[in-house]
Parts: sequence; structure tokens; C-alpha cells
Amino acid sequence: MESTPPLIEAAGLAKHFGGIFAVDHLDLAVHEGELVGLIGPNGSGKTTTINLLTGHLKIDGGHVRVRGQTVAGLPASGFAGLGVGRTFQITQLFSRMSVIENMLVPGLARPGAHKAHVIREARRHLEFLGLAALEKLAAKNLSGGQQKLLELGRALMLEPKILFLDEPFAGVNPYLRDEIIRFVQTLHSEGRTFVIVDHDLDAIQRLVHRLVVMSRGRKIADGPLAAVRENQDVIKAYSGT
Amino acid sequence: MRRLDLASAALLAILAVIFPFFVNAYWLHVMIIGMMFAIMAASWSLLAGYAGQFSFGHMGFVAVGGYTAGLLATGLNLPLPLGMLAGVLLSALLGGVIGWTCLRMSGPYLAIFTMAFSEVLRIIIVTEVEVTGGAGGMNVPQLFHARTDLPYYYLILALLMVSVGGMMAVVASRWGLFFRAIRENEQAAAAAGVKVTRFRIIAFAIASSLAGLAGAFYAPYIGILTPDVASQDQMGLVVAMAIVGGMESLPGAVAGAIVVEFLVEALRSYGQWRLVLFGALLLFTMRFARNGLIAPGWLRLRNLAAPRGARLAKEAAD
Amino acid sequence: MLQYFLIQAANGLVIGILFALIATGLTIIFSILKIVNFAHGEIYMVGGYFGYYVITLLGVPPFPAVLVAMALTFLFSIAVERGLLTPLYSPRIERKADYGILVTFGLSVFLRNIAIIIFGPFPLRPPSFITGDLVLGGLIISYDRLVAAGGGLLLLGALIWFLNRTVWGQALNAVSQSRESASIVGINSERMYMLAFGLGGALAGGAGALIAPIYSLSPSMGLVPDTQAFVIVILGGLGSVSGTIIAALLLGLSENLFIAFLPDPSRGPSYANAFGLAIMMLVLLFRPTGIFGRQHVAME
Repeated sequence: MESTPPLIEAAGLAKHFGGIFAVDHLDLAVHEGELVGLIGPNGSGKTTTINLLTGHLKIDGGHVRVRGQTVAGLPASGFAGLGVGRTFQITQLFSRMSVIENMLVPGLARPGAHKAHVIREARRHLEFLGLAALEKLAAKNLSGGQQKLLELGRALMLEPKILFLDEPFAGVNPYLRDEIIRFVQTLHSEGRTFVIVDHDLDAIQRLVHRLVVMSRGRKIADGPLAAVRENQDVIKAYSGT
Repeated sequence: MRRLDLASAALLAILAVIFPFFVNAYWLHVMIIGMMFAIMAASWSLLAGYAGQFSFGHMGFVAVGGYTAGLLATGLNLPLPLGMLAGVLLSALLGGVIGWTCLRMSGPYLAIFTMAFSEVLRIIIVTEVEVTGGAGGMNVPQLFHARTDLPYYYLILALLMVSVGGMMAVVASRWGLFFRAIRENEQAAAAAGVKVTRFRIIAFAIASSLAGLAGAFYAPYIGILTPDVASQDQMGLVVAMAIVGGMESLPGAVAGAIVVEFLVEALRSYGQWRLVLFGALLLFTMRFARNGLIAPGWLRLRNLAAPRGARLAKEAAD
Repeated sequence: MLQYFLIQAANGLVIGILFALIATGLTIIFSILKIVNFAHGEIYMVGGYFGYYVITLLGVPPFPAVLVAMALTFLFSIAVERGLLTPLYSPRIERKADYGILVTFGLSVFLRNIAIIIFGPFPLRPPSFITGDLVLGGLIISYDRLVAAGGGLLLLGALIWFLNRTVWGQALNAVSQSRESASIVGINSERMYMLAFGLGGALAGGAGALIAPIYSLSPSMGLVPDTQAFVIVILGGLGSVSGTIIAALLLGLSENLFIAFLPDPSRGPSYANAFGLAIMMLVLLFRPTGIFGRQHVAME
């Protein structure tokens, strides 16, 4: 597995706001097929890292490499084109567009996309997520949970190799939480790579194999779930010392 | 429902073609002006309503189209159609440039910037009197040498149908989807792979080229072009037309323009009160009927024709 | 020669102070209501006319007339806010920024045109505050200009005192930074919105009443100050009162000096406005938050 370059890689990644480093020289490599959890106390830079790795924020230092190729200055739409999908902490939907239209946007944004094919694919994903019956409803009329699922569906339309999920379990009822876990597991078994940021350590533990912990912009632990759980630094970071 | 839409469109087209034979020269003129405004209102609606870019510089592009056509015709003795084409192309180019410069701006910043652009243009036209004739205006030769305005009428009708038809095709295509996605949530659109930069520029280029087209028609038709065409009051009129017609409906904007223009003429005897009325109408519509007056009215009429179950489903989806 | 520049500079400062009044009003409205008031120039115009009619119809002497005009403009602005802007506060409406733009733009068109009917299209000029000119060495400046500048400075000072030293002012500051936190502390947001819009309008109206004897009143007099106010708040930073004041003074000075320096006298005055607009466009291009501005507050 080490012979092929990582699917996505951050090398010395840095981002500062004012005088503070939100992300402080981060090295992170995610290989194809992994299911990685990214956790850390509030303000540790997790969401900023995702934004940097998906083109939503400009990098102040270091590199991002996708399959070994450095992607300098690539906008978010470029990352999407490379198969890097993401969801947002606060669901960002096209509120006044219908559910199916939300799905068609990324589908048709791919070069050479054929409309009939994209519609079929969109319906397939909606079916998978249990949203098929809501196809014609405006996205803003969906429940909070349904909106989260729609956002996931929208990311799936990119045929992503890797999916960054930013707090998918935030404010979600236990039933939906289990649903999301099942969806992620199914999608992972189909060969997709995941990086999940969340505070719900219970859900994370049920899902991931590898855990990366950040604190104050830096990576303080990175390894198999069991090992990281015992890591003293991690425990200290969470207890605020 | 599409059949009803197509049928009504066909009916309207037929009515439009035979219209000149039922009215006198005065009302023909009013209709011509109305259709010209319709192109301006519909293209503004595309940019602001569909793509979400509230540009108050639209009339600046009308001026670019008109003055380019006029200057090339009078100054370089270029045949007018060529001058008009040049006007359209220059407007498209300038529109794309403005769209590109505005990329980091949104909402009120974009509005202010485009308003400033239009004002600067207007000031230059007013000040450079030797070139443009200043506030007194610039004479532009006629396009047709006919006794009536009939050729102008059919020309603007053709231009209107082509431009609105073209815009509707764009809106129905994936480009329309991308415009709306950008309007709804630019960040999400980028995350979904939409090349936001490219499409914002395209939206500006399309809208301003059509504004330039309207200006290029206006110049020879009226025969005299003044810098007022780029004034904020004119912009306000076009905005009112688009809003009354329905911000997210291209046919609505066309209807709004024609209705408002006819009202402007019909109420001519009230003089200044007309403009007050339109200002009030604009405010009222904005405040209480944000989706416009004409387009929602039409939708309701159309839905009445459908069986009840389908009607409810339609209303949920609309 | 030097005398010419001095006079231009002095005029520039006077204009700058009055622009500062207008622009500060705009920036306060933006800070609290989070909208750009495209009708601000028209409120300035309305204030000017209020001043004129208060003097001619009610016989109020010119100096107090300014204050009465400001009070009337304050009430007028609140009426506008209640009538047109309340949808901004309800969660129901989407795309608030668009609504704010369109409704204030529509208001400006409406006010400009109804002013022509009510006040007539011909310029009106209220009586001078103090007739005559001050001659100081090589500098000649009319007393009206001095009064306008002085009045403007007084009002700006009063405003700054109000914002920093009174409960209402501090409440406004709180709301401008965070509505939610302000309401938790018990500040009634809706009342603050009314106050902010009224205050912003009153400042513009005061400027209108102060400037009227100098430049006279006309229904479209709000157009230029409108765009100039935008230039100033963009330069000074939307939401920053001190930045706005500094930018206003700079703009007034530089535009007048621009006229002075431009060799072609016929083009000077009209291009002066274009100059300011072009500067603003450049600033928007490179620093959308203005030279002194805070991080751009996202609009809902």
C-alpha cells in the first residue's frame, strides 16, 4: 500500500489568521480505502484543515498533494473535479432548488456528463439515502436530518474518491446517527475513502480504523484507534491542561 | 402544462406579428419601446434574478451599445449594422471584464461597484462633449428609410424573440442550474464542482451583451442618444419592470416591461405623477409581493386550468 | 496661485466635513441593520427641504432650523424603517441583502420623483446663516461655509459622544457587533434598528439643511452625495465611524485639489466625481473591506 502515493496528502500545511496559526505545519497522509477520524478539542483546527484540503481556504504554507500531484492554488471547484468531496458543518444546500436539482448540480458540473445518465444516478443515490420520495420538494422544506443526508448525496454525485465529512453527527438524533454510520460503512465497503471530523467520539469509534488527533493546530496523535485512545497527550488535550 | 405554455407562446407570437395592423403609429412606437425595454429587463433579470448578481450598471452597457453604434456610424462612416454588432461585442467584452473584476464582491458591494461603473461612464459621456455630444445628445443615422416604423417593429420583435428565447434556453440548460446554484450558495456550488468564476463572468457577458443590443437598437431608432440612458432613474425603471414582472421569470420581465411601458404612456397626461406611481409600485411590489405581480398571477391562472390534484402538486413545486 | 489652492483646500475641507456627516449616517445604518441604504442621498435631500420649509413656513430662524430639520428627518426615517424595512428582521424572508438593496433603491427613485412634485423642479435656496465672507489673509471663505463646517463638526462631536458615552449609543455599539448577544443582555433589537436608521437619516438630513444655503436645494441633489457617501464608507470601511470621518475629509480635500490641479477647467468639476468613484472601484477591487474596515461582516 505504501508504493502508491496517498490519495490526499498535507505536507507542512499552515494557515494563519492574524497572528494565530489555525493549522500549524500539519503533515497528514490519507491512503485509498482508509476510514480516518479527525478529532480534537474545539479550536484545534479540524475544520480549517478540511477547508484547506478541499480548496475552500488559501494555504499560507506547505503543500497539498492529490495522488502525488501538488495542487497549488486550486479552487474548491477544482478539488471537486479531482474527486474530493465534502460536507459542511452547517448544511449548505441550494435551499430554493428541489432535492433532485441539488443532486443534478454536481452531476452536470462534471465534464462530459450526460443528462439522462446523471438523473438516473441521482435517483439511485436518493434511493440509497431514503430520500427518493422527496425528489421534487424544495431543499429548504426538508427536515434537518434529511438535509444532512441530501448534502451527503450531493457529495456522492461527484463520484468522489475521498469524502471529508465535517461534523456529520452534530445535532443529529440517535436513529439518524445510526443511519449515517450505516451509510458510511456501506459506501466505504464500496471502495470510498473517508475522513470524518466530529465531536461525537462514540460514533467515531464505531466507524473508524485510524484516528488523528489535533490540538491547537497541530497533530498530536495519528494511528490505530486503540493506540490513540490510550495516548496520554490526547487525554491531556481533551482535559484542557 | 407545457402544452398550455407553448400554445400561449404561439398565440402571443401571432398576436405580436399582426399587432401593427391594428394600432396607430403612436402605439406602435410605444410597443417598440416596450419591447426594447423588455430585452433590458429580461437580461437584467437573468443576471440578478437567476445568477444572483445585483448589478446596477446594466444601463451603462446599454449606453456602450448605443454610443458605439452611433460613434462608428457617424465618426467612421461604418454601416450601421456593423456598428451595432460592434456595440454588442464591446458590451459583451466589457461585461465579462466587469464580471471578472467583481468576482470577490457580492451583494451591496457588487451593486455599488456596478453603480459606480455606470456613473463613471455617464460622466465621461457628458464631459467629452466634442466626441459624444455631451448632455445635448448625439445624432445617430436611421437604420431603415421607410415612412413608418414597421421595419423597426419587426426587427425589435425578432431581436426580442431571439434574445429571450436564447436566455430561456440557457436557463433551462445546465448553465441555468449552475447560475441558480451560485445564487443560492456560492460556497456549496464550488464544493459541487461548479466553476463559479467562469459562470459569473458568463452571466455578466450574456446580460451585458443583450443590454448593448438594446442600446444599439435604441440609437438609430430614436435617432438621438443622450447620456440619460445610463442614469440611475432609467436603471430604476428597468428594475421596476423586472420586479413587477417577476424576478425569476424571463417572460415575466418581458411582460413587466411592456405593461409598465404602456402604463407610462397611458398615464402621460399625469406627467410627473407617473414616475411617482412607478416608484410606489416598485416599493409596494418589493414589500408585499416579492415574486412580482405578473408572473405569479400567470402561474395561478395556469394552475387553475389543471385538475385539482395536479394543481396542488404544482403549487407545492412552484 | 497659492491663494487658489488654499481656497480649494478650504472648500474641500468644508465639503469633507459635510460628507462625513452623511457617510457616518450611512455607516451607522450599515453597522446596525446590515444593509446599504441606497436612499441615503434622498434622505439628505429631504432633510434639506425640511430645513427650507421650517424657515420659510414656520419662521424658525436658520440656526435652530437645522435642528428642527434633523428632528423631522429622524421621524421621517423611522417611518421609512417601520414601513419598508421590517421584513428584514423576520426570519421568513429569504435573501435579506437583496431585499435591502432593492427596496432602498426603489425608495430612492420614489423619493426623487415625488420630490419633484411636492417641491417643484426648480432649485430653492433658504436664507443664509450669516451673509458675507470671511477674509483671512489670502483666504476668502463664505460665512455660510464656515457655519456649515462648524455645525458639521459639532454634530460629529455630538455623535461620537453619543455613541461612546450614552446608554443608547453603547447599546447601538453592542447590536452592531452581535445582535444575539445584545438581545441576551436585554437590548431590544427592533428599537435599536429604528434608532439607527433614524439617527443615520437625521445626520444626513442635518447635512442637507447645513448645505442648503450654499448650494441650494433640488430634488436630484441626493444623487451625487449618494455615490460619494458610498465612496467614503468603502474607503473608510463599512462600519467604522472614525474611518469614515477620516476618509470623508480626505475625499473632500482630494477631489477639490484634483479640480485645482487639472489643467482643463471645463472638465475639472465633472471629472472630480468620476475620480472619487474610480478610487472607490479600485479600493473595492483590492480591499473590499475598505482601508480601515473590519473584516467584512457577512450579510444574511
